[in-house]
Amino acid sequence: MAGESWVGGILDWGGNLLSEYSTNAPDTVRWVLNRGFDAVRWGTRHLPNRRKLPSGQTASRIALESVTRALDDFGDAVVTSIWLPSEPFLALGTNPVCAEALAGFVAAAKSEAGFAAEAEACGIPPTYCSYHRVLLGMAASNVLESPRMLASCSVACDANNLTFKALSRYWGTPHFYVDVPYETDEASIRYVADQLREMTHQAEEVFGRRLDEEALRACVDRTNRTLDNLQRALPLRRGRYLASDMGLEMQEALAEHLWLGTPDTLAMSEQQLDDFAHADSYQGLNLVWAHTPPFFLDSLKRLLNQSQEAQIVASDMLYDQVLPEGRAFGADQPFESMAERLVRCCFNGPADRRAARLLELARATAADGAVVFCHWGCKETAGAAQLISSTLEEAGFPTLVLDGDGCDRSYDMEGQMSTRLTAFLEMLRARRAELAAEGAGHGQAR
Amino acid sequence: MTPSTSTTSTTTTAGAEPRTVFYACKYTPVELLAGFGSQARLAEADVASFDHADALAHPNLCGYGKGLIERLLAPDVHEVVLVTCCDVIKRCYDVLRRQGKLDFVYLLDLPHKRGEAERRLFRARLEDLAEAYAAYSGETFDVGRALAACKPPVPRTDERVTLLGAHATSALLRTVSRDVGIAVENATCTNRQLLVSPPPQLARVAAAGNCEACEAPAAPGQVDVGRTGGTLDTFLDWYAEALLDQMPCMRMDDVSQRKALRDERGELGVVYHTMKFCDYYGFEYAEATQDGGTPMVKIETDGTSQSAGQLKTRLAAFGETLRGVSRARSAAGERRERGGAKDGASYVLGIDSGSTSTDAVVMDAERNLVATVILPTGAKATEAAARARQEVLERAHLGEEDLALEVSTGYGREAIPGMDASITEITCHARGAHYLMPEVKTVIDIGGQDSKVIHLDEAGDVINFVMNDKCAAGTGRFLEMMARTLEMPLADFCAKGLEWKHDVKISSMCTVFAESEVVSLVANDTPTPDIIHGLDESVARKTATLAKRVSAEPPYLMTGGVANNEGVVKALEAVLGAPVATHPDSQLCGAIGAALLGLESLA
Repeated sequence: MAGESWVGGILDWGGNLLSEYSTNAPDTVRWVLNRGFDAVRWGTRHLPNRRKLPSGQTASRIALESVTRALDDFGDAVVTSIWLPSEPFLALGTNPVCAEALAGFVAAAKSEAGFAAEAEACGIPPTYCSYHRVLLGMAASNVLESPRMLASCSVACDANNLTFKALSRYWGTPHFYVDVPYETDEASIRYVADQLREMTHQAEEVFGRRLDEEALRACVDRTNRTLDNLQRALPLRRGRYLASDMGLEMQEALAEHLWLGTPDTLAMSEQQLDDFAHADSYQGLNLVWAHTPPFFLDSLKRLLNQSQEAQIVASDMLYDQVLPEGRAFGADQPFESMAERLVRCCFNGPADRRAARLLELARATAADGAVVFCHWGCKETAGAAQLISSTLEEAGFPTLVLDGDGCDRSYDMEGQMSTRLTAFLEMLRARRAELAAEGAGHGQAR
Repeated sequence: MTPSTSTTSTTTTAGAEPRTVFYACKYTPVELLAGFGSQARLAEADVASFDHADALAHPNLCGYGKGLIERLLAPDVHEVVLVTCCDVIKRCYDVLRRQGKLDFVYLLDLPHKRGEAERRLFRARLEDLAEAYAAYSGETFDVGRALAACKPPVPRTDERVTLLGAHATSALLRTVSRDVGIAVENATCTNRQLLVSPPPQLARVAAAGNCEACEAPAAPGQVDVGRTGGTLDTFLDWYAEALLDQMPCMRMDDVSQRKALRDERGELGVVYHTMKFCDYYGFEYAEATQDGGTPMVKIETDGTSQSAGQLKTRLAAFGETLRGVSRARSAAGERRERGGAKDGASYVLGIDSGSTSTDAVVMDAERNLVATVILPTGAKATEAAARARQEVLERAHLGEEDLALEVSTGYGREAIPGMDASITEITCHARGAHYLMPEVKTVIDIGGQDSKVIHLDEAGDVINFVMNDKCAAGTGRFLEMMARTLEMPLADFCAKGLEWKHDVKISSMCTVFAESEVVSLVANDTPTPDIIHGLDESVARKTATLAKRVSAEPPYLMTGGVANNEGVVKALEAVLGAPVATHPDSQLCGAIGAALLGLESLA
């Protein structure tokens, strides 16, 4: 992700150094990492990747800034799980950063292996989610020093319970856990809203600041407008060249979670509406993607990144929180509004909900097919993979279940993954030709 | 119907067998279901294969979850109540519901916390379940039946080992009890126990319906059931809290109470059960190893009794460690009584039947090695043992009648006919290493089949030990397979590895993934010595991880076949930051230990 541009070369060099010295010289490693990320941040501001649409360039900048700002003063940051609403922390003027962002950046710097091994040496199972394993390794090697606070929620996976408790013990940092019920009724929403209030009170105490409720309402209002824009942008993706790439998918997902509620992310969503409306038409294959992609694998990058042959047209990591059927709570009830978004997120509850969201994405964008990426250690996705696959296939969207790892290269069998994805794309091309021959035409078969 | 239910309507006829509801989690409201006349049955996820689960879900779920899918799709299962325990169980529910073969399948949402708000929410969820089950079964709730199902707490046994961690099947409990040789307390989620009894008012109400006595205020700490006793409401007022307040499982937010499961009076040790792709218990195990205190051994299964059968060595060794070596010695002595040694016979034979080699030694009463032999095990362990025994006696110029005792160790130790005693290789390796290098504190043994790290005291007794999980990573087999991938004989592979120039990282610990990495490196023309060095380092890193778990300390002695691979020894020294000694007789360590323990039993 961060390592895609020319500036990323700095991180590639640093990565090897980090793997070697992560245990022995944590201060040096931290310095190298931070300077590398600073360089990439400078690059996203001053030398943006012109191959991306303007909204994509903004997403890259937001992702970089969200992480580097937290790393600049990590002792004053709050480490969160990706689905936990950030608005209370943003309204308090603090810097939230999540496991997926930190580990993803480390993976971009090719230095995840050393941290993953460090975590395993402490007894963390090698079958544990790699994002979380890398974060735990960064803590265990003292490359990450104690942040001010930890906050996580039970959506979307068990790791958000375990990792944060372990980090809290290790660092001696206060941790607040938001329990998100499986059911989506009003009782669940009110229960979560009360916990978010309690979390905010705890954050006020920890950071010694008072929450400006008006600032929180403004933040939540921006969130809701951003998510509505995303929903409006969905049909505009259909048949358009999005100049997307796997790293950008990850960066947009970070922007839409970690910095959801900021003016920058709202501006990005507005920019998307404009970008997509004026984007070139696209003749390549369109894929809906489930889970985070392995953005660092060269052979997959060649197939999907800014390609005229195939592109990721939408992903459930970006469209997990939109509420197309409308919301019961607006920004005037900020805690209930955040809670509703969390409870009704498609990663909460039965796998049918996630399958339905992916189907909706496929239909709205007239996708040619879908990829369910089974990230190593993600039981939520692995257990749902066949169910999602059959839901999509029954609706006429061929689906590939692809095993790999979105963070730790050592769990990616790249040769096999690339062969499977290439063969899937070949199959989709042949299918499109058949449909065209039958006179069904692109998109009408749905 | 709530989103967490799927039913097809059925009714039971009068006098028919009670309905059976299968369940998996200890937070399942078994007593509530009993109130509807149904009996709850624990779904033992001990199955022969995971074929359906792999196809319907994914191979990368834990063995327990996959076993549960298999079990609950069996034809005798009609009703299932699952709980949102973890990611895997939620997905199991999705799979079962999609299959549509069950008459009633319900997922109960369990809060992660146990405060007042959570109790209220949980009570409401229990009420939803009761409503759904009543509608499905046509039965009405009877508080008397529910209370009759409330079992009183079971007192704890003294002199016990505790089985902690992931769900234990009854087969695993039997295995642990048999192989450790000490009574086992099941503290996994298959042992369901409410910690409180129903308040007396509730019982009185159940017996007599409305009564004046119930108008009296409840005693402190007890639930006021009110006048309209016998209803579901009054039962749930008490029950939701009682069910939620069990010993917390690891998915609960506050698990501090679980510390009471370790290091309590009467507990001799802990057997910690983990599974691949089960995250929760790996974390508790990691924390427990840092706490120290009670001796603990980690076992890993995939939930099936087949996998439990492979645990004998570590469980028996753990039992020996807990009971003290003296018990092993006396067991050897007792068996000697039945032997046929001539008067004055003072030699002891030790045989180590390993997966790669079978080693035998004869030791005299002064602890001198009289003769030694090392043979390849080949296809039949018993035949190799017989040949080793014969050869070592010939070399020692002794006959069978000169032997006071014959002691076996190693994987094949139980199968060798005519032995007086068998002792695990953990105990024997420790004693043998102490003989070869008296100052040693940590033995690192990497054999063909497994790798282990044993932490010793000054006398050569085992303080703690750890073995690799059920996979070949970090063992001699791993290196053998990689040598085969590189199409090199093992000896050349070991020698070539010393000629490395550039550091190559083999990041994967998994043999299959590592092989794929090696193939990629070969395709990129990476020099072979650099690849081999990367593999040596990979084994060293894996071993260092094990060493950390038993608080290993120098001086280190490396034994087992891989000790002959200089590249691995050097890599280990680098990772551990201390010298790692080897010994020319290190391969005989297990056999020497067996002979020594035999000698000690004669004293």
